[in-house]
Amino acid sequence: MLRLSWSTFTERWPLFVGAALTVCLGVALVQSSLLVLISVATLDAPAGLSTTELAGFAESVEVGVTLSALTLAFSAFLTVFIVGSTFAFTVAQRRRDLALLRLAGGGRGQLRRLLLSEAVLLGGIGTAAGVPVGLAVMAFQSWLLGALGFVPPGFTPQWRTWILGVSVGVGLAVAVAGVLVAARRASRVQPLEALRDSGEAARVMTAGRWGAGGLFGAGAVALVVLSPLGGAGGGQAMAVNAALCAAVAFSALSPLLVPGIARLLPAQAGGVLAELAGANLRDGVRRSASIAAPLIVLVGLLLGQTAALTSFATAAAAEQRRGTSGDLVVEATGAAAGPWVSGVPGVAATSTELTVPISVTRGTGEDAETERGAALVVDPAAYERFHPGTAGLAGLRGRAAAAGPGGDAGSPGETVAVRAGGADLGPLLVVAAAPARIGGGANLLLPAGLVPEHELADAPSRTFVALHPGADGMAVAAAVAAVGEVHTVDEWSARDAAARDAMSTSVLLVIMGLGGVYALIGVINAVVVGASARRPEFAAARAAGLSRGQVVRSALLESWAVTVIGLLLGVLAAGTTFLAVLATTAVVTGAATLAVPWPFVLTVCVGAFLVTGATSVITSMSATRTLPVALLGSRE
Amino acid sequence: MTQTMTPPATAAVALRGVSRTYGTGPAAVRAVDRVDLDFRRGTWTAVMGPSGSGKSTLLHCAAGLERVDAGQVLLGDTDIGTAGDAELTALRRERIGFVFQSFNLLGALTAEQNVALPLRLAGRRPSRSEVRAVLAAVGLADRARHRPRELSGGQQQRVAIARAMVTRPDVLFADEPTGALDSTTARTVLGLLRAVVDGGQTIVMVTHDPAAAAHADGVVFLRDGRVVDRLAGASARDVADRLVTLER
Repeated sequence: MLRLSWSTFTERWPLFVGAALTVCLGVALVQSSLLVLISVATLDAPAGLSTTELAGFAESVEVGVTLSALTLAFSAFLTVFIVGSTFAFTVAQRRRDLALLRLAGGGRGQLRRLLLSEAVLLGGIGTAAGVPVGLAVMAFQSWLLGALGFVPPGFTPQWRTWILGVSVGVGLAVAVAGVLVAARRASRVQPLEALRDSGEAARVMTAGRWGAGGLFGAGAVALVVLSPLGGAGGGQAMAVNAALCAAVAFSALSPLLVPGIARLLPAQAGGVLAELAGANLRDGVRRSASIAAPLIVLVGLLLGQTAALTSFATAAAAEQRRGTSGDLVVEATGAAAGPWVSGVPGVAATSTELTVPISVTRGTGEDAETERGAALVVDPAAYERFHPGTAGLAGLRGRAAAAGPGGDAGSPGETVAVRAGGADLGPLLVVAAAPARIGGGANLLLPAGLVPEHELADAPSRTFVALHPGADGMAVAAAVAAVGEVHTVDEWSARDAAARDAMSTSVLLVIMGLGGVYALIGVINAVVVGASARRPEFAAARAAGLSRGQVVRSALLESWAVTVIGLLLGVLAAGTTFLAVLATTAVVTGAATLAVPWPFVLTVCVGAFLVTGATSVITSMSATRTLPVALLGSRE
Repeated sequence: MTQTMTPPATAAVALRGVSRTYGTGPAAVRAVDRVDLDFRRGTWTAVMGPSGSGKSTLLHCAAGLERVDAGQVLLGDTDIGTAGDAELTALRRERIGFVFQSFNLLGALTAEQNVALPLRLAGRRPSRSEVRAVLAAVGLADRARHRPRELSGGQQQRVAIARAMVTRPDVLFADEPTGALDSTTARTVLGLLRAVVDGGQTIVMVTHDPAAAAHADGVVFLRDGRVVDRLAGASARDVADRLVTLER
């Protein structure tokens, strides 16, 4: 059987090289993401850091861990999806060979063993290549995290020998899992049906596909419906995952959806080549669906993630602006700036907010959980004045705290143990809550006087300033510039929005950058695998009078039609995230917000057409290199 | 001249009241309709009939490639109509061989690998000389290392016959084995099939070519899924005449 696998491998290498490549890149991505995650999570703080610096280091590590974990989850999902669909497609492409084996006396078990041993062989080859490639990916990922400031300076990921076991396990497991269902199905099909491609063998919409489509489709709907109920944090997570579920559902249902949508394309208007392309697209359902599937996932995830990140950033910026009044903002260090600013002539009122790192312990005994975060030291009345929508902070005095706009550190009525910087503040009763913000913010508000002064000496401070009517804003700004950086509230808000946008782009780049490239390679792979079995079909078309150029053009049209459908379904999948974003922002911020980055959408669409077009032309040129008569004369 | 076919006691394959219908309701087509037929051991029977007469379906039912809706298909004493997949697989390894019009060789394997395949699937490790001997018997000793695409149509069909014969099956089912070959090559292939029968094996062959059918010991004519006539030792002209009569 191994010899047969090897003979098949040498004969159909483009089919198998593509499959091994998907394993290689998947293993590389997962290995790298896991090593980066473990390295960030186990990073030791350099010696000699102050309490504030230590808090900053811990926050940086937390951000690094969160992003690496998301990258790992995304990489693992893509690896399972792309390897699974590629391997299933390679099995489907070999139906005829498998039928012939059955006719020659091959048992079902033998066929399954053949396919599984091939999967082990390809998984092994892919893993062997994936481990060193993973090192290069790790170098890139850690560089990217460092360059974008998501990990502490000087971070270098560490190699761990046990990762070899993980990589081999991942490589073999995804490869074997990828063929398991396809092999079972292929071995159950009657040989004559497989030879004729009729009956059960011709059925592309399997029960598994219906099941996955239904399950993930229901999941997407549930996430859209529930997202507005999830609050600021939960709503965002659900919105992002809605597109993922919808993309998997559409991919599973693609044998049904792709030819269905293809019927709506105006093939007749494009002449005989377009007609031929349309017929081939509908007839080659397996091929069309296999090319569309990674495209749907790529586009759905990219657009969904991008729109979600951009929309929430836009909503957060708008919410920030709506939730802030005043004329100027002074950013300085330490507690002294605030009182000084309030003494400047022309200043009517101020609210000074000092940011201190905190750790909050909720619950007691075994249930106690400690989380790091940030608190704002505020004057409650001034805070309410400068943050419209905030009320009920009158009780915030003495040994009390209020839940901040970032939440997650206690609800009114709850007692939490708080450490601010190096000072243990002891148990504090949460007496009120500032409105939760979609863009997050401080976890707690603390009254002035609770945190020891020395802990506030280096704390970043932000003082909002309201001017007397008729006061010379320029003059006041010039005067307060002596203690810190001064901006109008509008400028400060715009700068904040820009920073949020930049952060969204960076997060997207880290999480989706390499994953997106991987999914794109999955698309290319599907086009190559699809074209590898079409030599006789192309030869027959040429024998019917088509020139080589016409065959290539017809294949290109078909490829582009599949791309249009893949993009359409990908955008529809992303649409579930759009809906969830609108619902979540409407509930959390009061204003439904959706920001679709159209230039990015356009880039993805044009990129998809270029990639599928170029791959299609190259593969069909290659498949039509031999004279048709030579191919038709030798059917095997 | 119509003659009675062989007595059941010596039948390699026997069909008893076999029916096979495709589709349901008004669109249903009964491709094989209550056929009773015996193929005597050590004989070569050609199955002929107009297009759509059900001859390929009959062959596939007799070979266990298609389930019958009614009736029995006996391979020797084994009712293959009720056989499970494992049993059918074992039958294909040991007692049944196939030859198709389109050769159906595995493109990735060389001629000798294709020929050795059924034995290897049965768990045997045939020696190279054993496989080469079978290839030599079909005149392809010098093509053992060639892949199917490097062989002519006739050569591919001879590899297919060698593959079908390597296990020395009781019955060889051939579906238009000369349909894709020129007349000279077809004669070579038919000569090989005659040698197989002379060696004691049984052949059931579907063909539309009277010249090919004339090489068989007997000819069964089908129309609308039923056996309508039989000939034994007929010439190509007799067969052609009978066929023309049926197609009227």
